[in-house]
Amino acid sequence: MSGKGEVVVSQGTPGGILPSPWKFKKYGQSGMDVSELFPHVAKHVDDIAFVRSMYSLSNDHAPALFQMNTGSVLTGHPSMGSWVTYGLGTENQNLPAYIVFQDWRGGPIGGAPNWGNGYMPAMYQGTPFRSTGDPIVDLKPPEGMTPERQKRWLGFLDKLNAEHAAKNPQDSEFAARIASFELAYQMQKHATDAVAINTEPQHIRDMYGVDGERTQYVGKQLLMARRLVERGVRFVQVYSGGGNFQESWDAHWDLKANHEMHCGETDQPVAALLADLKQRGLLDSTLVIWHGEFGRMPISQRLDGRDHNPYGYTVWMAGGGIKGGQVIGATDEFGYKAVENRKSVNDLHATMLHCLGFNHEKLTYPYNGRNMRLTDVSGNLIKELVA
Amino acid sequence: MLTGIAFGADESAEKAEAIFKANCYSCHGAALKMSKLDLRTRETILKGGEHGAVVVPNNPEASLLYKLVSGTQQPSMPPGKKLVAADIEMLRTWIDRGAPYDGIAPADEDKLKTLAKLEDRPIRPEERKFWSFQPVKRPAVKGAGSAAVDELWLKSLAAKGLKPNPQADLRSLIRRAYLDLIGLAPTPDQVTAFVNDKSPNAWPKLVEQLLASPHYGERWGRHWLDLARYSDSAGYEFDRDRPTMFHYRDWVIEAFNRDVPYNEFVRLQLAGDELKPGDREGRVASVYLRLGQEANIKTAQTRMDELDDLLATTGGSMLGMTIGCARCHNHKFDPIPQKDYYRMQAVFFSAKPVEEPFAEAAAIAAHKTALAEWNAKLKELRAAKGQIDKPYRERLLDEKKSKLPEFFQIALKTPADKRTEGQRLNAIQVEKFLVVDDKELQPLLNADERARWTKLKEEIAALDKKKPEIPTLLTIEEKRADPSYFLHHGSVDSPGTEMKPGILSVAHEGEWAFPDKTTGPGLGRRAAFADWVTSPSNPLSARVMVNRIWQHHFGEGLVRTTSNFGKTGELPTHPELLDWLASEFVQQGWSIKKMHRTLMLSQVYQQSSSDRADGIAADPENRLLWRQARQRLEAEIIRDQILAAAGTLKLDLGGPGVYPFIDPSLYAGSSGRTWPGKQIDDPSTFRRSVYIFQKRTIQVPMMELFDTPNGIGSCSRRNRSTIATQALILMNNAFVLDQAKRFAARLKQEAGDQPAAQVKRAFDLTLSRAPSPKELAEAVSFIGSAPEGLVDFAQTIFNLNEFAYIP
Repeated sequence: MSGKGEVVVSQGTPGGILPSPWKFKKYGQSGMDVSELFPHVAKHVDDIAFVRSMYSLSNDHAPALFQMNTGSVLTGHPSMGSWVTYGLGTENQNLPAYIVFQDWRGGPIGGAPNWGNGYMPAMYQGTPFRSTGDPIVDLKPPEGMTPERQKRWLGFLDKLNAEHAAKNPQDSEFAARIASFELAYQMQKHATDAVAINTEPQHIRDMYGVDGERTQYVGKQLLMARRLVERGVRFVQVYSGGGNFQESWDAHWDLKANHEMHCGETDQPVAALLADLKQRGLLDSTLVIWHGEFGRMPISQRLDGRDHNPYGYTVWMAGGGIKGGQVIGATDEFGYKAVENRKSVNDLHATMLHCLGFNHEKLTYPYNGRNMRLTDVSGNLIKELVA
Repeated sequence: MLTGIAFGADESAEKAEAIFKANCYSCHGAALKMSKLDLRTRETILKGGEHGAVVVPNNPEASLLYKLVSGTQQPSMPPGKKLVAADIEMLRTWIDRGAPYDGIAPADEDKLKTLAKLEDRPIRPEERKFWSFQPVKRPAVKGAGSAAVDELWLKSLAAKGLKPNPQADLRSLIRRAYLDLIGLAPTPDQVTAFVNDKSPNAWPKLVEQLLASPHYGERWGRHWLDLARYSDSAGYEFDRDRPTMFHYRDWVIEAFNRDVPYNEFVRLQLAGDELKPGDREGRVASVYLRLGQEANIKTAQTRMDELDDLLATTGGSMLGMTIGCARCHNHKFDPIPQKDYYRMQAVFFSAKPVEEPFAEAAAIAAHKTALAEWNAKLKELRAAKGQIDKPYRERLLDEKKSKLPEFFQIALKTPADKRTEGQRLNAIQVEKFLVVDDKELQPLLNADERARWTKLKEEIAALDKKKPEIPTLLTIEEKRADPSYFLHHGSVDSPGTEMKPGILSVAHEGEWAFPDKTTGPGLGRRAAFADWVTSPSNPLSARVMVNRIWQHHFGEGLVRTTSNFGKTGELPTHPELLDWLASEFVQQGWSIKKMHRTLMLSQVYQQSSSDRADGIAADPENRLLWRQARQRLEAEIIRDQILAAAGTLKLDLGGPGVYPFIDPSLYAGSSGRTWPGKQIDDPSTFRRSVYIFQKRTIQVPMMELFDTPNGIGSCSRRNRSTIATQALILMNNAFVLDQAKRFAARLKQEAGDQPAAQVKRAFDLTLSRAPSPKELAEAVSFIGSAPEGLVDFAQTIFNLNEFAYIP
């Protein structure tokens, strides 16, 4: 940061270098450096591969989120969850194949296009799940409509629809629509059961911090996520942080309070998820990706904050065939730009798809005259991660 | 120009660029880069020169450029003259808005020569032979109008040894016509009248009535809105509302109702401002050019993205060509050179987004005066308040400074000219971000000061809420021809040759003439381009449009990829029929309503949609149309039909969008984006769904789940998914249940207490037919077997397949 005016910030005035307020220590067999903000996750570093040389294309939240989620900074493309469900299909007809949990303070910037299906059919869009009350909007009828009553009219509907369909028995659209009511009815029960974390033993709830003041939100969501994955849901996304600034990890000021809050909310639940998946033998078949849409600057902003930094940041992956205990790439000594073994979002997506059994160049969807890909026309598998 | 209206940020970008061009480029531009500073692009401006950064976005006071032009730091710039105060203020505003910028630096001379060689990609003669680039050839037919359609259709069918279906029964026919043309089911009286009308012109009369209905435009205008990616918000992160866009939506609806010839309809959207200067219709129609998503911070890149979105939309909707694919390289599959792309981009390049007052001249002048007065008064009050609290503010700031971390203290204590770069930046941060708010000040003031100060504060707050407003319209303004370039690899960093406007060269031999105007308003480029698009010699436009009309009448187009008539698209199933229709369309003055008549009076339209074993065996996809299609209704029409059945649908036309209820958990907390949803039973929302406020990132779930497009890209054919969450909405959504109750109450009121009468009435109202004896018996027994039987029966009706399909 020699001050030659080459730092591009998104908002306001860049300051000088801001030292990290936290201490780092070595953990695990691999001797990984981890900040004191993550005491729980630090215990799992030998299962985790860190990519410290990520870069992306926008220093603005929404385009950067869209890029992380859909591969493109522009809106309108299918999200990675859509691609995965398009590729893998569904394993449990009674639950949506792609589920999204938003932060308790609100959704991410950019909203629904982050889990949108873009130009793919609506069946590939992410379904937002709530962590209190009914998990899906309109999962249950309003007060007064009992399950018995509903079952009764659905039975009547079935009869009338069957008589109508009999006139054109080969119409698969009619048949699919008739089946969708049965599925929806089943989903009311299954979706509720799937997130019934009150049936989990106390030691599991404690592990995730379900009853902890700070950890309760993400704790509940990650425990639900594990239950959903066990039931065959293909893609679960959990957002930490909603909206701008202190509500999110968007520490333009008071970095210390911000990161201590968000790390405090997530560290224990994330570590619990890794441990829990492992003890159930699910970690090998479940890919866990921890990421943001970009990192933060090494210089200060508004005295004690940091601005957005898409030029160099870290993501980590575990499980799903990822070789843990390693670090890929590095930034410059300030943490400003990825300089060594630089990895793009397309590279990350290519690797994710590889872990799920796809060649990212072959998983295509025809749209507007082109065979579209999650990785557009680039992206390389990060081979070291899956060696 | 009016200050104070929320003009697009790029107005300052354009002004800044003009100021630099006029005053600075001679030393900081292509020829010379004094102090290594190049002011031609945002990137080079932010990079600065050998004296460091010249612009700190959002902070004019900290920006060297502003200090030098305003004379607060020496040497003042430009050397030997001072910018006029308005320009200095404009640069301040520009930096304050984050220094958005449109400029692209042209490449140097010798580099250009090398690049120019790469830019030419001539069209080979055989490439013009692809079917869609061939001139429309009207096939010889015996009959005219609908008879010609049937003749060509039956020829293809016979070639496969297939027979058509018989005519559909009259009840299905009337229902089909109503749902297809106006998106509403016929009333029982209308059905009865039609079924009993034995005159030979009963059917043509019905078609005429429907074409004359104002609801025709609501139904068919919506198809165009899908293509134009109509939306009431700006998209991207903040997805800000554009509360005036509905003028365009209403114009589209009204244009369909008036049967504005399609060529005129296209021309007005591309160049209404030029073709009808000063005219309301011209202005509103050309809002088409502003329908795309727009970024908050403008750069050369975002401008290119916006133009790309416009070109892709225009190419797909009006030409059936995927020209967006030629942005970074020559089209991979179609003969669309990259140069065509940038020549077509040059057509639109100089049309800059503006927000203009949309009112009478007198109202605009009055608003201008009121706004100036308001600004002056606000400034005065703020100054008076600041005068009172100044000593306390300064004292508090000093106290806060003394509590900062050590490295800030050191930076502050170091004399300004001795500071390291980091210390300099830190000192700026302290100046800018160490603030004192009113809550801290208030207790420090003495009683007299506090009284005056509080009064001023209240006055400021009150005045703030009274900002004079005037209705506006998002539109474009074309003042002068700005140079645009061939961008190699589509990159703003690799400009090649300057581009003159052009068209799709494969679809027209030789050059198309564009006027050589360099100053506006209106350069005539868009009008000339629109002339080409709608020229009878254009092989694409008429084919593409008749194919779209066909698609909506028959479920699929004759070319199933309705926005892609290129090599990766499908071939026409009935090439002769397509050409006959295209030729007929032009001959009939591009009248869409005449085309509806021609198609709907045909046998192919009126045949039954029932399956036949031989048809399924020979042509399972029904490409040859041995039966009419069974089309699932769009989200909007399903919702409209629920309201219509319940008797709650309001049929008012036009006006601002309405806000049905959306569960707040579906949008809460994102960047202040919100949805002022009404209660589920609020009658203001009981309007046709085309009038629902179309927010790009917040969609009414019922619309979203049933595949209403999100307005981000052009949509030429809606997805038709069938998923369990659609069923959940129809089963459980409180709005649906409330409407079911109202439907039940209506049945009781209109048919009395007898279940049999209620069932008959329900079938008549919603399915345009009587129940079969079996259905009647089942329904009567269902209604009678529980206290809520009638309400549950009403909801069952909403969920029938028959309810959701055009028969």
